[in-house]
Amino acid sequence: MRFFENFNFDFLGKRKFAYALSGSLFLIGLIAAFTRGFQFGIDFKGGSEIVLQFEKPINIAEVRADVENIGLGNMEVKTFGGETGVMIRTEMQVVPVEVYPKVIEGIEAEIEKLMPGVPRKLIDSSASSVTYAFENPDTANQIIDGLFASGFQSGRVSEEPDNVEMLVSVGIADWIKENLRAKITDNTFTVLKEDRVGPKIGAELKRDALLAIFFALIAILVYLGFRFKFVFAFGAVAALFHDVLITLGLFSLLYGLIPGLNLDIDLTVVAAFLTLIGYSINDTVIVFDRVRENLKIHKTRPLFDVINTSISQTMSRTVITGGTTLLTVLVLMIFGGEVLRAFAFTLFFGIIIGTYSSIFVASTLVYEYATKYHKKVEF
Amino acid sequence: MKEFRFRLIIIVAAIALSIYLLYPTYLDYQNSSDIKQTLELKRLQLVKENPDFTKSQIDKLLRANEDSILAANPDIVKNKEKRVKLGLDLQGGMRVVLEVNTGKLLEKLAKNPDETFRAVLAEAQQESERTDESVVDILARKFTERGIRLSRYFGTIRDEDSQILSSLTDNAEDAVNRAVEIIRNRVDQYGVSEPSIQRQGSRRIIVELPGIAREEEAKKLLQGTALLEFRIVREADFTFPVMQKIDDVLAGKVLDDTTQVASEDKATETTPTDTSIAAADTTTPEGELSEEEFRKQHPFFSIALLDPQGRSADAYVKVEDKNKLELMLNRPDVQKVIPNNVEFKFQARSQTDAEGNEFFVMYLVNKDPELTGGVITDATANIDPNTSAPIVTMTMNSEGATEWARITGANVNKRIAIMLDGGIFSAPVVKGKIPGGRSQIEGMADLNEAKLLEIVLKAGALPAPVDIIEERSVGPSLGEDSINKGLLSVILGYALVGIFMIIYYRRAGTIAAAALTFTILFILGVLAGFNATLTLPGIAGIILTIGMAVDANVLIFERIREEMATGKTIKASVDSGFSRAYSAIIDSNITTFFTGIILYQFGTGPIQGFALTLMIGIAASLFSALVVTRLILDLMVSKNIPVTIG
Repeated sequence: MRFFENFNFDFLGKRKFAYALSGSLFLIGLIAAFTRGFQFGIDFKGGSEIVLQFEKPINIAEVRADVENIGLGNMEVKTFGGETGVMIRTEMQVVPVEVYPKVIEGIEAEIEKLMPGVPRKLIDSSASSVTYAFENPDTANQIIDGLFASGFQSGRVSEEPDNVEMLVSVGIADWIKENLRAKITDNTFTVLKEDRVGPKIGAELKRDALLAIFFALIAILVYLGFRFKFVFAFGAVAALFHDVLITLGLFSLLYGLIPGLNLDIDLTVVAAFLTLIGYSINDTVIVFDRVRENLKIHKTRPLFDVINTSISQTMSRTVITGGTTLLTVLVLMIFGGEVLRAFAFTLFFGIIIGTYSSIFVASTLVYEYATKYHKKVEF
Repeated sequence: MKEFRFRLIIIVAAIALSIYLLYPTYLDYQNSSDIKQTLELKRLQLVKENPDFTKSQIDKLLRANEDSILAANPDIVKNKEKRVKLGLDLQGGMRVVLEVNTGKLLEKLAKNPDETFRAVLAEAQQESERTDESVVDILARKFTERGIRLSRYFGTIRDEDSQILSSLTDNAEDAVNRAVEIIRNRVDQYGVSEPSIQRQGSRRIIVELPGIAREEEAKKLLQGTALLEFRIVREADFTFPVMQKIDDVLAGKVLDDTTQVASEDKATETTPTDTSIAAADTTTPEGELSEEEFRKQHPFFSIALLDPQGRSADAYVKVEDKNKLELMLNRPDVQKVIPNNVEFKFQARSQTDAEGNEFFVMYLVNKDPELTGGVITDATANIDPNTSAPIVTMTMNSEGATEWARITGANVNKRIAIMLDGGIFSAPVVKGKIPGGRSQIEGMADLNEAKLLEIVLKAGALPAPVDIIEERSVGPSLGEDSINKGLLSVILGYALVGIFMIIYYRRAGTIAAAALTFTILFILGVLAGFNATLTLPGIAGIILTIGMAVDANVLIFERIREEMATGKTIKASVDSGFSRAYSAIIDSNITTFFTGIILYQFGTGPIQGFALTLMIGIAASLFSALVVTRLILDLMVSKNIPVTIG
């Protein structure tokens, strides 16, 4: 079987179409980015996220209403995986001030249940914990254990034997879980995943991700500059920008629109973008390698023809490798599970765009650059 | 044939090595499913027989069982160490990033913190949220800006700012080490298998606890202040009779009325005995009968080994026996023969003897501490200039010093155990009354041990407050689901790509599909060889590699086709096909490899796993294409087997 046998196509001649296509994709992405923005996962903006797995199928609207009733304000509630999974996410790290009295009420009620009328003093309440003092260490220990057993995060303030103080930490995730347990009684759930990222970590992760992409581009620029000519390095890196930006635009355009597809930009997605950079450069280099080889063989042939021939000659490889990779990514997208879906999505569209750009964009830019500055490209 | 021999040997060696490296993983998989089954049966049995046992009691019994199974087969443990490890996202567990709260520490260190101090500190803390500068440096700068000397709050009035600054920096650094030790100590005591505790940067600690089921408890484990205690170690003449009694009770000998009471409880308490005996049976290798008899008659002394020459009654307990012994000691009938004011406590860290056996030393100590750590003002590890032996000097405040003088005076020649959160770190002998509150502890093996003791001593005095700044936990069910889906995707992806290659390139495609099998084998082998951790993104990396790995083969085959089209012989076509595809293959893969390295540098946890499999995948697929495929093609050509490339 053979595709593209004795294939010869005037790619450069059709470059105006490529410019139009890339330009409009770019524009759409840009408009989406400005109007819709991006949806970042908690990796980058900080916040708390819990994923619950219910025993029976749930109605997401009902869960959403229940979560809203907790009084924590705006929360994201989405399905996760099948019909029994729910993801709840908030940017909050701690329980907001206005809800705090409610939390304390809950703790008070539990203490009353354990030891009615026990003398106690609320001695401190910070953003993430409340501290009680009791009359003697024994009472304190009993109440600490009792609260812990009923799901509160209670602990001793100090391990000294005469400790009479109890610290109850009130994380946002705990508060949500507690409330949902009380509200949805006929359908129990287990916690599949629980993440909390502090704002500082979020900022650092964001910085690291940007640095990673930046350094990857620099490394590629330098390596290709060495192995080829600067013109080629420029064309390749420009094509990479093209791929990354259009795929990013797609993220902005599509998030929240496709049910079951969660297009948050998080660490895994950044990894997918870096992989995309790696894949797309791979594709481009193979075309360039052919251009380099043909330039050596046919020293007098115009660059225009050499590029067209080279792309045509490598066309079948470009399509086959792109095809097999797409096949595996598609498998990953369908069968790989919820956690990897956004990753697979990025690569799926990224590879399509990357393949397109290594055919229509990278070499075209090399040609444009060479003609504009009247550079003679030779090896 | 001769020309192929060398390459053939390399390939066979690579395959054999991969299989050799992967074999422990396979064995471990089998072992763990066996153990899991055995334990599940045991659990059912235990629950049926002891309906009133709490879950944690049963868990503890099961852990003891597991320990004895592991102890009986050291191979299981060996395989476990050599297998491909699964990341937290695949086996479930939690990852917590803690940051030492330097602000709180500074407040504690300050002599007389007033409003100004608190305000400046709050400012400094807020600023440190945004920059990489340490809180100490920011605070110092802010004070200088306001024209306040640091000596107003820290050190003595004569100290220069720079002196104070460096001492504060040391203190902050110390706090991180202390926090790491406290956490390690607690995690060890809690019995998490294969925990990982690492320092990151200047004041962060990353804790990974695989398979933790009760995360709330784990979180509690990581925060909160540590308890340092000094307790008297009981001497042999007191300890030995207690041990003797315990041994008798466990052996079922009825001695005096104390055990008589115990026997009334027997109805409910027989099972643990049965369990421990059953467990003991599995640990017994095919030995002489006398050893077995000894085990039966002295269940306690057979696992709590005493030094026959030693004058102390310190018991040496093998690591794998610790859980079992704790269970024995917790039995109500055993508890009845242990006096109320004492308890058995283990060393916090296991030791290794000359033969490589790991064990804990168990001491009998008073239940009530003589002193708790709050009184310690400082501790320093040093080398004694006279004897050049490592020593730790510890100072106490005046209140503690008075107490300490009394305690040491009353216990000359006895031992005092230094305990942190219930684990014993040292049990030095009191040489004489220590009046001034300044004590010197000797007898550490090396400076590292002394440093550890310094940290432990300080832990009681200066808590190292930590904040959880990132936590991620994955439930075991999601992990298992991820593994299954990942495996399914690997198999499906492999099958689809393989079938495509065979259809498109015929015989050559079949070779490529076979080479793909080797690629996957090599990836897994290298992962096992590096002791790397396989994460979910790592599996995604393998799947992606399957798709991309055929690229080199495709390039080569396309080239061979082109060469054949020019009318060359098959041999010449294969040769020039390879040599011409070579530069494209290398250039394109090196750039992808670069992005892998960068991803590894900047990523954390799971992402690093992905970067790793991607890089290994590139190397493995290059080997498969350039060496394995090449050899098979060359062999076919030389044997005149027709090579069809589609």
